[in-house]
Amino acid sequence: MKNLRLEFADTMLEVGPNDPRLVVMVGDISHGILQPYAKACPGRYYNIGICEPTIVNMAAGLNKTGLIPVVHTIAPFITERAYEQIKLDFGYQNLSGNIVSVGGAFDYAQLGCSHHCYTDVSLISHLKRGVVVLPGSPLEFNKLFKETYTNGLINYFRLPDNAHGVEFKDEDIQFGRGIRVREGSDATIAVIGSQLRNALLAADKLSAEGVSVEVLYFHTIKPFDFEIVRASVTKTKRLLTVEELSAHDGIFNLCLRACLGLNDVSMAQIAIDDFVHGYGTYEELCAGIGMSPGGISQAVLRLAGKNT
Amino acid sequence: MILNKSLRLKIAQMVKESGEGHIPSSYSIVDLIEHLYDKVLRVDAKKPNWEDRDYFILSKGHGCGALYVVLHKYGFLTDQDIADYSTSKGILGGHPDMTIVPGAEASTGSLGHGFPTAIGTALGLRIQNRDNRTFALLGDGECHEGTIWESANVAANLGLGNLCAIVDWNGSAAQLMPYDDMPAKWSAFGWEVHVIDGHSAEEIQATFAKLQFSSDSRPKVVIARTIKGKGVSFTEGHGPWHHRVPTDEEMLLITQELTA
Repeated sequence: MKNLRLEFADTMLEVGPNDPRLVVMVGDISHGILQPYAKACPGRYYNIGICEPTIVNMAAGLNKTGLIPVVHTIAPFITERAYEQIKLDFGYQNLSGNIVSVGGAFDYAQLGCSHHCYTDVSLISHLKRGVVVLPGSPLEFNKLFKETYTNGLINYFRLPDNAHGVEFKDEDIQFGRGIRVREGSDATIAVIGSQLRNALLAADKLSAEGVSVEVLYFHTIKPFDFEIVRASVTKTKRLLTVEELSAHDGIFNLCLRACLGLNDVSMAQIAIDDFVHGYGTYEELCAGIGMSPGGISQAVLRLAGKNT
Repeated sequence: MILNKSLRLKIAQMVKESGEGHIPSSYSIVDLIEHLYDKVLRVDAKKPNWEDRDYFILSKGHGCGALYVVLHKYGFLTDQDIADYSTSKGILGGHPDMTIVPGAEASTGSLGHGFPTAIGTALGLRIQNRDNRTFALLGDGECHEGTIWESANVAANLGLGNLCAIVDWNGSAAQLMPYDDMPAKWSAFGWEVHVIDGHSAEEIQATFAKLQFSSDSRPKVVIARTIKGKGVSFTEGHGPWHHRVPTDEEMLLITQELTA
């Protein structure tokens, strides 16, 4: 499956020539792959440099003049370092733009915690006009970017380094709607991003053990599809969230809200509780915090009251 | 000679009546802002969002008293707006909110934000081949913020000749960091530097009249030597008046000095 960052560059090349308002600014990443866009849209591509707060603030200034900015760099620097710029210069000033990050969670696994970002989704979600999209496949990004980039809001797209590998049909991808990837009756797994792959492998494993799992996938975190969660958990009575987000404010909280008033529901979460120290591959870091087919299936079995 | 005495008096009255405001920070810049709106900026009070307007961004938002009285003088704000300053009935607060104040181009207050907004605005105008100009007024204390120098670096490298920064060099920065060669710093970043007396009508007039704006030249900075609290003997300088509300007796003295 095509890399999400390449899809970002291709989508800019697709959209830019048809929309003279689109301006892309990067913080010295993805410079090479954006050259086709830069050539197709002269004067509307800027590699500003390593100064993320200023890039975000400049993007707000661009929007003041009627342009539609797209800001792109590494997640912790564009969201956590520049959060006051997002909050004030876009939020308080009622301006709009698009932030496209890479390196969310611990995608830069071998670079250490300075390059990790667990709170980006939560931070943008705190803004009433914030929109959060976490596409796990190229088609999701292409479709959802084109649907949202002119909406007059503050759109955040986190591009994972590892696509989940599931080929959705175009009509299955609807902004703000979750996708029921697999139907089941004993437990629900709500999952985002690359972890869809592990969730489906876990569901296979559990199915072989006689446990029927429903898998819900969310490419849009805000607005969140509360209804699909409530309908599923009403049926299964058990919910596990698997999310490369801070355990202290992720989709688990959204699912809790979705289940308010339901009786006899058991819930659990696999998320990022604290800094993920150490190095290794992305898969190794995932496995260390239970984000693996085995870790997910064990969590579901515990929810079901079965010894693991 | 003290310029703009009546505007200074109005600022003090607003602060006195509402119990909120930064008098000295407004007094150091009111002469500059008044000149910009009188002689330099292409703006239309009847159409604050006129597409062809020049953009003036007050990056040191706590000096907004000066902006408000000038916007009032030139018809952007009403008498009632001024009367309701910093109350629940009004649109004017201790920092400007661009979403509700006609003529305010940025919601500033957190220092180091208005200037990068101005850089983006100037770039956006250039991208669209529009000849509007962008002005940003910064405090010298604000120049402690890293984003000021990030932006200065970016603007010079982009060659934003449609941009003019104005630094209110009132000595606040030197309270903390005595090495304060402001012109050398801006010059080192590649800006066209002009140093003036920010309370001299002649120097303000002459400097802004000769600035040449174009879409692909160096950005310009007017570094204005100013006096914090300028205009009233006991509000001048650095000290307790930074965020102080006059007593009845002090207000009487301010009024006497500004109407003499």
